[in-house]
Parts: sequence; structure tokens; C-alpha cells
Amino acid sequence: MDKFTVYAALNTKIRVLSKEFLNKEDYLNLLEKKSVADASLYLKENLSYRSLLKDINPDSVSRRDLEDILKNNMIENIDKLIHYFRDDYKKLIRFLYMKYEIEDLKVLARSIFNNKGPGEINQSFTFLGKYSQVDPEKLIKSGSIRDLIYSLEGSEFFEFLIPLIDGKRENLFRFEMALDMGYYSIIQSRKLRISARDRELLKKWEGMLADLFNIQWIYRGKKFYNLAPEELLNYTINFGDRLSFEDRKKMCYAKNTEKLFKITNDLTYGFLFKGEEISTDIYMERRINRYMYYKLKDLSNKSPFSIIQTIEYVWLLEFEVRDIISIIESIRYDLPSEEARKFLVKVA
Amino acid sequence: MSVEKMQIMGIIGKKIFLDKVLRLVIFNKSMHMINALARVNSTDFFLAPTEKNIEALEEEPFLKPCSQKRDFNKDEEIVKLLQNLFNIEPQIKREFLGQDYNYDDFMEQFYDIHEKVQVVSTRIAERSSAIEKKREYIDNLKYLSVFHNLDISRLTHMKYLVLRLIRISRENYDKLKKNYENIPAVILKVAIEGKYVIVVSITPETLEETLEKIFTSLNYTILPIPKELGGTVGEITEELVKDIEKDQEEIDKLKQSLEDYKEKYKEELKKGYSRLEMEKRVEALKTEIAVGEKLFFMFGFVPLNDVSQLKNEMEKYFGDQLIILIDEVNKTGSGITPPTKLSNLKLFSPFETLVKMYGTPDYREKDPTVFFGLTYMILFGAMFGDVGQGMVFFIIGIILEFILKKGNMGGILSRIGLSSIIFGFLYGSVFGSEEILPALLVNPMENINTMLISSVVLGIVLILSSYTYNIINSSYEKNVEECLLGRNGLVGFFFYLLLLYTIYQIFVAHQSISPVYMILMIGLLILMLFKVQLSNRVLHSNDLNMDFSMNYYIEEGFGIIETLLAMLSNTISFLRVGAFALNHVGLYIAFLTLSQMINSSWGSWTILVLGNIIILTLEALIVFIQALRLEYYEMFTKYYRGDGIDYAPVRINNKIFF
Repeated sequence: MDKFTVYAALNTKIRVLSKEFLNKEDYLNLLEKKSVADASLYLKENLSYRSLLKDINPDSVSRRDLEDILKNNMIENIDKLIHYFRDDYKKLIRFLYMKYEIEDLKVLARSIFNNKGPGEINQSFTFLGKYSQVDPEKLIKSGSIRDLIYSLEGSEFFEFLIPLIDGKRENLFRFEMALDMGYYSIIQSRKLRISARDRELLKKWEGMLADLFNIQWIYRGKKFYNLAPEELLNYTINFGDRLSFEDRKKMCYAKNTEKLFKITNDLTYGFLFKGEEISTDIYMERRINRYMYYKLKDLSNKSPFSIIQTIEYVWLLEFEVRDIISIIESIRYDLPSEEARKFLVKVA
Repeated sequence: MSVEKMQIMGIIGKKIFLDKVLRLVIFNKSMHMINALARVNSTDFFLAPTEKNIEALEEEPFLKPCSQKRDFNKDEEIVKLLQNLFNIEPQIKREFLGQDYNYDDFMEQFYDIHEKVQVVSTRIAERSSAIEKKREYIDNLKYLSVFHNLDISRLTHMKYLVLRLIRISRENYDKLKKNYENIPAVILKVAIEGKYVIVVSITPETLEETLEKIFTSLNYTILPIPKELGGTVGEITEELVKDIEKDQEEIDKLKQSLEDYKEKYKEELKKGYSRLEMEKRVEALKTEIAVGEKLFFMFGFVPLNDVSQLKNEMEKYFGDQLIILIDEVNKTGSGITPPTKLSNLKLFSPFETLVKMYGTPDYREKDPTVFFGLTYMILFGAMFGDVGQGMVFFIIGIILEFILKKGNMGGILSRIGLSSIIFGFLYGSVFGSEEILPALLVNPMENINTMLISSVVLGIVLILSSYTYNIINSSYEKNVEECLLGRNGLVGFFFYLLLLYTIYQIFVAHQSISPVYMILMIGLLILMLFKVQLSNRVLHSNDLNMDFSMNYYIEEGFGIIETLLAMLSNTISFLRVGAFALNHVGLYIAFLTLSQMINSSWGSWTILVLGNIIILTLEALIVFIQALRLEYYEMFTKYYRGDGIDYAPVRINNKIFF
């Protein structure tokens, strides 16, 4: 089948779904709200979220409930798109869930590590089991990291986690790292029968992500965790768009952050380090997200009728959830709206 | 052929006998338990003041409910565990229960068995894991066979260097290799297995920690090798294989001893399940029992025919240590409703299910099953008269009843099938076709009016019988008001007859009726309106707290209008009997026409068979429901209350009982 028959209907659907995104004005209005209740009420009255939030009571709704609803909405919308795909493309969309499930798993591991009972957890775990097909209840009931690892038996993650169980390595850090490395290993070794163009686009996109996350990892590992270069290198993602293994190795063995900036600059990722060092520390994640945001739009414009529109939609959906949650958080902690704005992805 | 007579049996005895008495009662399967306190407090309870009863009389005013609650979870767990371990089918057998035993002592012994078995099975598990570990060693040692004739202990016991055997993914091995110049160890790749690479590393002890970190970041898995054994790979492996054999022997021995246990305790284990189930039932029954200082009191309804058997059994086991009371239930007014046990001729008993679907008859009510069964068969047959299809139902019914053991379903089906066959002969219909057999009585399609009129006549007969039934039922209950003056009583009966006569005179015979009839009818209506006042006057019972205000008259007035409407609509309702008989033929004609429109003989036969299947399923279902509707709505509402309690004797709820 040619790309138009595959993507014409899908793109129309995506365009309809995209209409539900908040616009810039909505974001600005939301930022001006003084309380979580006001913000929830605004969302409830806003067209696109009206039906979604119709059952909540704005006065008593918690951040977790909102997050749950928004994430469930994400799943619902992504599931809508799955119907437009066949065969391996369906699998590809399921791979998108894996990223979110791993994020939820990491949050869960952290709360287990901090000895919080299931009642105390104020995070939402909407994506648990969405890719791995493990029963979320079983995961949430785990009493320790070890339990959690055994609960994941039968899923694809298990083989990456089982080496941790030797008494010394069952800690949170190793768990998170093993999951992340597992994720990249799984997406790298997946074999999908998709069109050559889509494969290329995917490679480009995922390579770019890998580059950015690698740079972030190496920077943080050097600055905050004081990891040995060998360890740093071993924990890098083993593929990339512009970064080769040699580049990564050079970065890991760079004597200081100055050297690191220089190398990144040469690779045109220098924007991550602009301004003072302190702002780099705080805003690096947001810079990465902003970069991806524009890059997605760019890729999408250049390759209409491809898989990238779907990926763009999913990421924009994620960014929106993220932004709404950060606005709610900043309202809760009385951050001035000017400050809060600096953390948003979709609105500058 | 009706509701079985019951007697109340009371058993009073020493508390130590309680469990055994209950077991016997459960065994006997004829007692419908009732709450003992309710019985003792009822007005007609009487304990004769004889010497034997002295103790019971003393305790009677101070009875309490038997409130001990036991938890059988643990017992159950152990019984299940042992059963699974020894592959014993859970069965309840009479022989294990009949014996004289004390449950607690019996269970004690069970716990002992469990403990002994537990010890053995833990040891088996230990040995098995030891074998597992040695097998792993053997597998891992294979990777070291690169060091042909080297004594492995020399590698594992180096003074300044540390050796490790690890497994990492290929991907990570790649990273390691590309960064080899920075790794403080000698790395030797010894094997590739699927996605993984097996590696031996040797590093100075001082750098061990650094290497550990690096390996950790590569997500390694350590492959253990035995440190305590010396020799070449071959020698160590041989030694391990020998060890495994030894362990295996040990396991076999242990398993044998488990077998011995099984042989030794098999009988006891089999008893366990039966006795546990029995004990659970006994415990559940205790909620209905009352206890005093030393005695227990229990009561239940027992069908008249089974009383002597139960009593004899009790006396056989316990001699005269129990006080057994047997009372009649005829005395109305004791607040406890007796349960209803229906017993009917084999021909009608399957219809009990359909009657109970509406309601179980009251103990003092007349069992409507026979009348119901008879009329139901007639109604179904009249609506679905067909020799061929009736035969199909009859055969399916017989199969269900006798081969698949679905007694009630099959019974109903075979009986209505039979009636369908009879009416089939009367109508001359075989699988819808009216050409094969001559009609013995009437051909529905050619005598449409006869069919419809006779169905109404049938309806009138049935409605009149319902009135009669109600009159008899109410006279049983000594309910004068309902019997004589009620809407469905004698007054209603006469009114209905007069109404029919009037209608006949005016619409059929075209004659005017004499005003005497009109006045009589109005008089009957007035009787119905004032039935409560009249019956009070006659019976001199003014104690009823009736409110004779406007509301009462409005209510009763509408009630009478409703009665009038109902009489007409109920009668007309029976038209459907004729209509469905016609419908049955009509449906067949439709399929016949369709089949004739098809040219190939195969095709037309297929249509006919298909049509017959549709008639068999869809039409039969509709007729089944319509007949039921006529029974429930047109007839039951007139004479049947159905507010009794089903007879449910205590027994062990288990299909594999005995």
C-alpha cells in the first residue's frame, strides 16, 4: 500500500484530535489561576476537557486524580489511533507505551524504596502493564524492589532486571538504570516490517533523542553523581544520530565541563549549555523538550504522510499533560506565573 | 398427591451428645431445622411435667442461642495440603461418618501426620535445591574447560588476583571491548550464548572494587563456580555428578518414606475430608440450636412418613438419654410456618418446578401442581399440536431426563411433547403438513371460527375451575370472607356465570334479558363491595382495625371495576389458544410456499427442514411462554397465593454424597 492510503485517514483523525489541545491563551489563563480548584474549574469549563472532567469536583480534586484522568485520556486517544494501523505498525504504537510504562515503573520503585504504602502513593500509575501486560495490582502490591522485579517476571523487562538480584545491587539507582538500558536495548533490537521511509524517520528521531539524553546523562553523571568515566560510558544509549561511540567516549573522559561544552558545541547541541551554568542545571530538561517539540514539527512538515505525525501527536499529548501538571504544581507551591512559564514546553 | 404432612420433632439432650445428634440428623436427611428459641417461645410449646423432663423444664426459661463459632480454615488448609500431596480424591463417604469419633481428637492426629510429612518434604526441597546448585556449577565449569589440565582451585584461590566468571549482553560486551584500554582487568571471552557473552576476568585485588562498579554498569550476572573443590574441570565435574547421584538417592529414599506414610495413613486421610465437611455443616447448624446449662434443645419439621425412622435411629444410638418430642402442626397460630414438601404422581411432579417459579404453596394451601400440570399440557398441546414435532420434544425430553439427568427440564419437555402428539392426531398434523394424517377431530385451518370459539369455551371452563379451586382453598383456610364474598369466591363465581349468560342472550341469541338478572348482578356487586362489613357482622369479629372511610370505598369501587374488566379480558385472553393453533399451520404454509418457489428439490427440502427447525425452536418457545402466561396470569391470580417455604432438610451439600 502506498503511503497516502495508509496515512490519509489517520492524518485526518490526528488533525481532529489535535483540535482538543489547549491553545496559548488557555495556557496563559491557566497560569493566572490562584488555586488548584480554580485551575481545575477552568479546565472543566474549557471545551476540550469538558467531557473528560465532567465528573470531578474542582474543590476537592487532587493533582493525582487530575494526572490519572489526563493520562487515561492519553491512553484512550492513542488507542483510537491504533485502529488505523495494521500488523507491525500496531506493535510500533505499542512500543510508544513502553516509554510511559517505564516512567511509571520508576516512580513506583521510588515510592516502594521510600517505604510508602499503596495508600500513601500520590502518583498515578496509569501506564503500568500497558506494554508489559503485567497486572498493575500485582506490581503496586510489591513490598520491595526485589518483589517488584519478581512481579515483572514474564515481561520483556525481566531479563534486564534479574541480574540485579544478588544482594548488593537491588537499589533504586541500579533498578532505574537497568530499566532504561533495557528500554533502549529493546527498541534497538526490535524488528519491524515497516516502510523504508518510516524506518529512516524513526531512526533519525530516536537517534536524536538518544543524543540528547546521552549528553544530559553524561553532564549530570559528571557533575552530580561523580561516576567513573567507564561507568558513565557503559550507561550511555548505544546508538545515536550525530553522536558516535567515539564521541560519547570522548565526552565521558572529558576532564571538566568546559571540555564537555566544547565537544557538544561541535556537534551542534551547544544550545543545551547556553547561559550560566546554574540555568543549565535547571533548564536542561526543558531545553531538550523544547528542542524536540520544534524538531517534531519540523520533521512532520518535511515528511507529511508518514509515521512521524503519529509520534508527533503522542509527544504533544505528553507535553500537554506535563505542562498542565507543572502549572498545577506551581500554583500549589505559589510559584509566580512568570517563573512557572519557564518550565512549560508548549508555551514559551 | 399434595402437600406432605409434617410433624415438629424436638430433641433435648446433654450437650456432650450435641455433635453426634447433629451428625445423625444430617445423615438422616429428613429434618427441616427451625430456630429452637423461636419454637420454645411459641404459644403451643409444651413440655410434659414428668420426672424425665425435670432437668429440661428447669433450664427451659434460661436458654441462650448456641453461639460458639469455630474456624475451620486451618483444618481445611491441612486437609487440602495432604490431599494434594498424596493425590487423594476428596470424597464424602457414609462409612467414615457413621463411626463413633471425636472430631478434635481425630484432627489432632491429622496435625501430627502433617508435621511428620512436612519434615520430609522440607528435606526433599533442600536436596533438590542442592542438586540444582551443583548442576549450575557443572554448567559453569564447562566455560573454564579452556584451561585444559589446570587445577581450577589454583585459579579460585589466587593470593593477589581475583577471578570471576560473568555473563553480560553482547551489546554491553561491545562497549567493554571498545573501551578496553581503560578497564583495569584482563578480560577473556570464553563463549557466546544467544544474546549473551560469557567472560572471565582477572584483576588485582586492589582494583576489584573499581571493576565491580564497571561490571555493575554493564548489568552483569555472576556465574558461580565451586571454590571448595580442587582438580581439573573434568575431575571436579565428575565429583559433582557423583554428589548429585547421592542426593538423588537420598531424595528417592525420602519419597519412598512419603509413600509409606501414604500407605499407613491412607484411610485416615480419606476420612479427613468427609469428617471436616460434616463438622462444618454441624457447626453451621448450631446457629439454630438453643443451649442451657447442661442441655441443648433443637427442633425441626419432619415429614410424617420419616418421623418414626428418625426417632428409631435416635433411640438406637442414644437409648433413653434424649428427650424426643413429637408435636402436630395442625394447631394454627404457632408463629412458625411449616415447610412445604410436595409429593405428586410421577406424571405431574416435573411441573412442580414451574409452580415453584411462581411461589411455593403454603403448607395449608392445596397443592395446585396436578391442576396446573393437566391444564398446562392441554394448553400447550392445543397451541402446538403436531405429531412429528411433539415426538421430537418427547425424545429430547426422555434423553434429558434419563441420560443427562436433567429431571425437571426433561420431564416437562417429554410431557408437553406427549400432549403435542395427542393434539397432533386430533388436528392431523405431522411436521406442519396436514396431508399425511387425517384429522381425528378438527382441521384448524378449515374451521377457524370453531377453533377460536372452542378456545374461549376452554377458557371459560378453566376460569370456572379456578373459581372452584379458590373456593375450596379458602374453605380449607376457614377464610369465610374470601370463600363466599370475595371477588374470586362464590359471589364472583355466580356473577361470572350471570355475566356470561347475559352476553350470550344479547349477542348470540339476540334476546332481551329479564331485569331480574340485572338486579341479581348488581346485588352481587354490592355484596362484593361490603364484604368486610358483612363478614364482620356474621362472624362477630369487630376487632379488625379496618378503616371504613371514603378511601376504602374508592379502593373497593375501583376493585370492582377492575374485576369486571378482568373477567372479560381473562376470557378473551384464551383466544390465543386458538390463534396459536392456527399460527402453527400458517407458519408451515409460509415455509411450504417458499420451498415450492425453489426449483431444485434439494433446495425446497432444505427450506422445509429449516422451517421446521424454526417452528420447533421459536414457535415452541413462544407457545411455552404463552401457556405459562395463561396459567400464571389468568388462573393462578384467582386461586393461588404461593407464599410457603420450601422444605429444605439438613444434609451435606455435596454431589458425591455416598
